[in-house]
Amino acid sequence: MANPSSRLTKVCGADIELSNFILGFDRPGGTGYEASRALLREIDGLPRAWVRPYAYAADAWGSWDYRDRSAAWDRDSTWRSAYDEQDWGRKFLPTNGGCVYIDLDHLELCLPEVRSAWDHVAAWHAMLRVARQALEAANAHQPPGRKIQALVNNSDGQGNSYGSHLNFLITRRAWDDLFTRKLHQLQYLATFQVSSIVLTGQGKVGAENGTPPAAYQLSQRADFLETLSGIQTTSRRPIVNSRDEPLCGWLPLAGDGGAPARLHVICFDNTLAHGSSLLKVGTMQVMLAMIEAGRMDPSLILDDPVEAVVRFSHDPSLQAKAPLASGRPAGAVELQRRFLDAAVRFAASGGLDDVVPRAPEILAFWEDTLVKLEARDLAALAPRLDWVLKLQMLERAMRQGPELEWESSQVKLLDHLYSSLALDDGLYWAYERGGFTEQLVTEEEIQKFLVEAPADTRAWTRAKLLQSAPPESVESVDWDSITFNFRGRGYWPVRRTVTMGNPLAFTKAEMAPLFGRAESVDQWLDAVEASGERSGEGAPGDPPGLAACRPPLPWTDSSPVERSRCHEIP
Amino acid sequence: MRFRERFGEDPPIPGASGSPSDGQLEGLRREGQRFLAAGDEAITRALAGSDSEAFLAANRQQGGQ
Repeated sequence: MANPSSRLTKVCGADIELSNFILGFDRPGGTGYEASRALLREIDGLPRAWVRPYAYAADAWGSWDYRDRSAAWDRDSTWRSAYDEQDWGRKFLPTNGGCVYIDLDHLELCLPEVRSAWDHVAAWHAMLRVARQALEAANAHQPPGRKIQALVNNSDGQGNSYGSHLNFLITRRAWDDLFTRKLHQLQYLATFQVSSIVLTGQGKVGAENGTPPAAYQLSQRADFLETLSGIQTTSRRPIVNSRDEPLCGWLPLAGDGGAPARLHVICFDNTLAHGSSLLKVGTMQVMLAMIEAGRMDPSLILDDPVEAVVRFSHDPSLQAKAPLASGRPAGAVELQRRFLDAAVRFAASGGLDDVVPRAPEILAFWEDTLVKLEARDLAALAPRLDWVLKLQMLERAMRQGPELEWESSQVKLLDHLYSSLALDDGLYWAYERGGFTEQLVTEEEIQKFLVEAPADTRAWTRAKLLQSAPPESVESVDWDSITFNFRGRGYWPVRRTVTMGNPLAFTKAEMAPLFGRAESVDQWLDAVEASGERSGEGAPGDPPGLAACRPPLPWTDSSPVERSRCHEIP
Repeated sequence: MRFRERFGEDPPIPGASGSPSDGQLEGLRREGQRFLAAGDEAITRALAGSDSEAFLAANRQQGGQ
């Protein structure tokens, strides 16, 4: 069994980039700009406006200066995020602790951190409902003849892809092993991810990005995965992404001597079926726990995962094989079976205890799904997996409309409308309403995450603080900190920043009793700071209260993350 | 229906006693086809009410992450 001191609960974050455009409104280059901003405008979040003209920012060499960023104000007077110039208008939701923003003219929905794969499914669908409410409100303001369309997919069919990302908490040691010390572990992870498209693909009509022709394929994303590993996300996309933005503080959360890391996973599809969504997160949690414990089987490594993902994806009959590094050919389902067998042995040794919530259920669901895939029992899997449901839907449509072919524009339209966010034309929702889809979380669990944050991560405290503070006092919000700017005595504002580095802390169980005794927002912030100090927030040697002044972690590759001064302004 | 309700509180063990028989499976598949028909009306509506060429042309996105 793994050394328990070098393991971390596999907290998961996620984001959903939507396709958004306006029917009835032509513009060269498309209407994503207008559509995404119309949607964002309808979502209430904090901060409402950025008021400070200055911010700390790091140059390319990691040194710090104090630069005027007023040029970054957009025409809607909303601040461009400090993450990246392509990241615009970020606002956090006081309801569930997630956030929304615009990324390259796509509305992007970011889920609050969760521990359980089931909570991921519920939070995912809750965030889709947030976007749907915005869609309905935005469409109510459109002139006659125009309609904003939002699709929960990853490809526009014209060679452009947009992401569906997962983020997992892993130990620094596991990160170093994956990317700098034990590259066979990276190849092992890539092989797992490539073969798992039989569980997680949304399905897509046609092929793109110069890949061989295909009538139908398993994955939206496969055609756009062009390298094994890399830091980039918008071109030559890697199967295993090395963008580490942990936003988890400075102190080790496990006994491996380093601050925690984030694994940013960009190879998966946006999914709607609960089964696909649950397997996407649950099996990754299991695999990362194994890799963290150094448990991997080098005989499973694919010779060329980049070539294999296209080959697997383009074959919905599941017959395709790709060579392993040993030269022996293997299919995606066969590989998944061997990963599952290894995971079951690992679980039996206690390796998943306290690291992956509800691991036995994940393994059983994975097993049941693989049995049906091995039997090619697609009828049984249609309610569970997106690519199977979409395939059966399209084949049924083509049987009923003999004039339809895979190359027909009408079939591609159905492919897109499968993932339409709107209830009136989204085909997935029609199957859900009809009772066809397998529901792994209840309506109540989804509704809960529309108004509440997950209770067992720091998202709970983030949401509570945003709900409780005067909205105008919220100056900036990030996953691991919030800066408030309160009205002080006289003319001078009082600025306070609280940090919440540990995503496993600041839970409802920990903080609710403290908040219950507090009589003001100030005392709530005192409680958060005290809790952070108890759990060692900040860098070793930091004087109390200075934790919030730390710059971003030196190993991150992100654009500068803004940090404010922590002390009262005189 | 939740997974645990559908398969019972204990996760299913394929091949174990209690798995549906071939006859039951056939019945489940027939039921699945019936449910799959739930999408027919939506498909018909989509194909009748949309200009597919215009829709596909309008859906031009900037590449994202």
